Amino acid sequence: MERPATGVTYQRFPRVKIRELKDDYAKFELRDTCASMANALRRVMIAEVPTVAIDLVEIESNSSVLNDEFIAHRLGLIPLTSSAAMGMRFSRDCDACDGDGSCEHCSVEFHLAARATDSGQTLEVTSTKDLRSTDPKVCPVDQAREYQQALGNIDPYDGDPQGDHRGILIVKLRRGQELRLRAIARKGIGKDHAKWSPAATVTFMYEPDIRINEELMETLTLEEKTSWVESSPTKVFDIDPNTQQVVVSDPEAYTYDDEVIKKAEAMGKPGLIEINAKEDSFVFTVETTGALTAYELIMNAITVLRQKLDAVRLQDDDADLGELGAHL
Amino acid sequence: MNAPDRYERFVVPEGTKKVSFEKDTKIMNAASFTIEREDHTVGNILRMQLHRDPNVLFAGYKLPHPLQYKVIVRIHTASQSSPTQAYTQAINDLDKELENLKQAFEDEKNRHEERMKQGY
Ligand SMILES: [Zn+2]
Repeated sequence: MERPATGVTYQRFPRVKIRELKDDYAKFELRDTCASMANALRRVMIAEVPTVAIDLVEIESNSSVLNDEFIAHRLGLIPLTSSAAMGMRFSRDCDACDGDGSCEHCSVEFHLAARATDSGQTLEVTSTKDLRSTDPKVCPVDQAREYQQALGNIDPYDGDPQGDHRGILIVKLRRGQELRLRAIARKGIGKDHAKWSPAATVTFMYEPDIRINEELMETLTLEEKTSWVESSPTKVFDIDPNTQQVVVSDPEAYTYDDEVIKKAEAMGKPGLIEINAKEDSFVFTVETTGALTAYELIMNAITVLRQKLDAVRLQDDDADLGELGAHL
Repeated sequence: MNAPDRYERFVVPEGTKKVSFEKDTKIMNAASFTIEREDHTVGNILRMQLHRDPNVLFAGYKLPHPLQYKVIVRIHTASQSSPTQAYTQAINDLDKELENLKQAFEDEKNRHEERMKQGY
């Protein structure tokens, strides 16, 4: 068998088409690459793109109904704006500090002090109102959103006038109860703890290639067509009211459930429909927690994956050994 | 109580090499690469990229155990190539693909914003 010389490249050139891009949501098509690449990007977006989250809490006073650990855990889960995270250091790699103080390279300090007065009603302690950051770049996402709204920078199609703008509820304090604490937020990744994951959901699907055997389809009566179209649990097909022809109205609604294929067989019309997954075309949906924008998440995932690949290169001493070994 | 620390999954311990490889003792041009603190993310893209190389006769990967944080990539090549050459080539190709993808995304974002401005 003829084999090419070494050093030839087998690189792919993926194509991208963005369908929708909002601050915390993206839908795009990725073509001319394989499922392993799509899946690697998905996995990196979920578990390996760094963000900042609260990781150390010193409680000064807590007379609320929730115990200290419970509150510390809740604080950790609050998404913080993390556009600066790629440029930060991990605490364990930071040589400028001992890892538990406030160090500008690897951590951000937060303060919280709330007390329900003796006469007042139940006080809601929230991420918007009560959690104070010492670094304006890193703050709860709802605070950043409020700030952008005040500046008028939020796109109208992103605004949600009916939404709840009270932020994230941390704890409720009753008369006389108090919560005071200091917290340190650090850079981390979702692989360590899910609180560091910038992804709410990242999914991809194979684009389906749906082919109707028109000749066979025309042997069906309108009732048979309707019953076949309705056999699909999701609305993939439709009947043209004018021509009474079956058309594919939404190929991506197909969930690879095989129902329409089984139905065709049950009707004695095998081969009525052929559905294949296009193995090099994917439709991605990316939703973030707000810690990063969807676009930042995608770009950072590509950067992180490249760094990972770079880290698994053979070192020079390995390669020499390999060459030497090959000649033995 | 005896659970490993979470960071064990992605921090390479001091004194351990990130990548090491061992030639097969019986088969020519076959070797196993052990990559420390990596998983399916890297293992699978490497395997699939290696399959694109016609000089690669076999490429596979495995995670030996969920508590052993490493992947083993096994490569067998034709005599024109060698496992180390194929491995390095696969990484180079993947890196260039991602570089390309990043550019494609930046360009597409600009085109998308242009489309949005023009109102469709
Ligand atoms: Zn530090």
